[in-house]
Amino acid sequence: MIRLTLGRVGIAAAALALPLGLAAVPAQAADMATVSVLHAIPEGAGADVVDVFANGDLLIDNFTPGTLETVEVPAGTYDLAVFGDGQTPDDAEPVLIAEAVEVPGGVNATVTANLDAEGAPALNVFVNDISRLAAGESRLIVRHIAAAPAVDVLANGDVIFADVTNPNEGVVVVPAGDYEASVNLAGTDTTVLGPAPVMLEEGTVTIAYAWGSAAEENLALATQVITDVSTGPEGVPAGGGSTTDVPVWAFGLAALGAAAVFGAGARLAANRN
Amino acid sequence: MTRPRPALLVLGAGALALVAGTVGIAWAGSGMHVESVGSRPAAQAAPSVQAAPTDPSAAPDAKGAASATGTPYRTLDRRDATELPRPDRTPRPTIIDIPVIDMRIPVDVVGLDAAGQVEVPVDVMRSGWYRFSAKPGSGEGSTVIVGHVDGVEQGAGAFYDLRSLNPGDTITVTRADDRRVTYEVVARERFSKDRVPLRELFSRTGPERLTLITCGGPFDPASLEYTDNIVVTAVPVDSADDLGETR
Repeated sequence: MIRLTLGRVGIAAAALALPLGLAAVPAQAADMATVSVLHAIPEGAGADVVDVFANGDLLIDNFTPGTLETVEVPAGTYDLAVFGDGQTPDDAEPVLIAEAVEVPGGVNATVTANLDAEGAPALNVFVNDISRLAAGESRLIVRHIAAAPAVDVLANGDVIFADVTNPNEGVVVVPAGDYEASVNLAGTDTTVLGPAPVMLEEGTVTIAYAWGSAAEENLALATQVITDVSTGPEGVPAGGGSTTDVPVWAFGLAALGAAAVFGAGARLAANRN
Repeated sequence: MTRPRPALLVLGAGALALVAGTVGIAWAGSGMHVESVGSRPAAQAAPSVQAAPTDPSAAPDAKGAASATGTPYRTLDRRDATELPRPDRTPRPTIIDIPVIDMRIPVDVVGLDAAGQVEVPVDVMRSGWYRFSAKPGSGEGSTVIVGHVDGVEQGAGAFYDLRSLNPGDTITVTRADDRRVTYEVVARERFSKDRVPLRELFSRTGPERLTLITCGGPFDPASLEYTDNIVVTAVPVDSADDLGETR
């Protein structure tokens, strides 16, 4: 069960179901997990410098808006708590908490401290799809974690995700390359972010976060890149055969033999009829 | 009453010839097993977080240093997420030079064919830089350059002599900005094509390295392909050229 509270800000937040348990887990990394934490609460919202604790131990120190920190943690169940700078579980109440977050081994997840659609601080947990990509491909994930209404996400002027709301995401696999990304208010031509040039590198997962607040006019993009998830190409066919060391007689004999077998076999089959 | 039918005789003789020819082909090749000289630096195996410039705010204060000791958590990376991944403008390689085998040829840009295999320049006297691999001098990952060992009508290709390279041999790659990156061969390996560690050879993470790939081993007349890939791995060495001098 997850409970989010806002001790210092004093706003109660809704319960949050975490999808971590559904993630596929590679066997060899079963005991550790990779968790990134994104500070996506804009400056001036009461969380300019915070410390993040997990099960009472300091996880991230002096965390500031727009920063992404990635940590490796043992698989397990975690109570996450965000404290104001310099405060600890011993002497203060947390700004934000998420209790009993299940983190299975092998999972790659991102926790975001962000504003919900109405502008209240919230913690969200996303599982990152790091399944292998075919050579030449790139995976783009777009997450709406801003105090803003529904949006459309565009790449090179075409809508790729329509009507995305906080705290949801869109996932797509595209040919690797350079794109121009922008975010519009859903169903309109009103651009609220971008257009910005974005490189979607081959064999990587690029996660773009729309964060901040429309009302405060500080909407912004943040990105997280996870590399090296390509299968690699299928092979390298780099020979024609003219310099083969095989003696010519072997090819001749094999070809002759194959022809004879085929011819004789066909004749025998014909004779049988 | 049964007289051997001529067709059966031809069948038997043909089968013998086929076996003899096939054995000859197999004999001419030097076996199925992997051959290797020297050792290739290990590529990072597991998916990893992008290495990025460390955020200055990451420096732990006294409280952080004290609290961090003894926790089971390990920080892998901390970065400013507001910087978007910008298009990479690092110049591409244009020339590869291997003096010890008297080879100096152009480097084209190649991608993937319809089957997901790396395109190899048709001209056997040209090579191809795989455009999804690292660029020379980028500081991380594998720069992959491929070339034909030979062509049906063109004869031996420029990469024919990769099979004779040895650890310590020098390779120089020139980029479009005329910067030259000098490498030293650390390994030469031959893999059966169904066992080539493609993911490692093409990984853009791990130590900076140059990976040259061509074909080798026995030629399979049925598939019209060689059964093996020859892979030469080289690592950058410090040299005046690396400082951006152009001569």
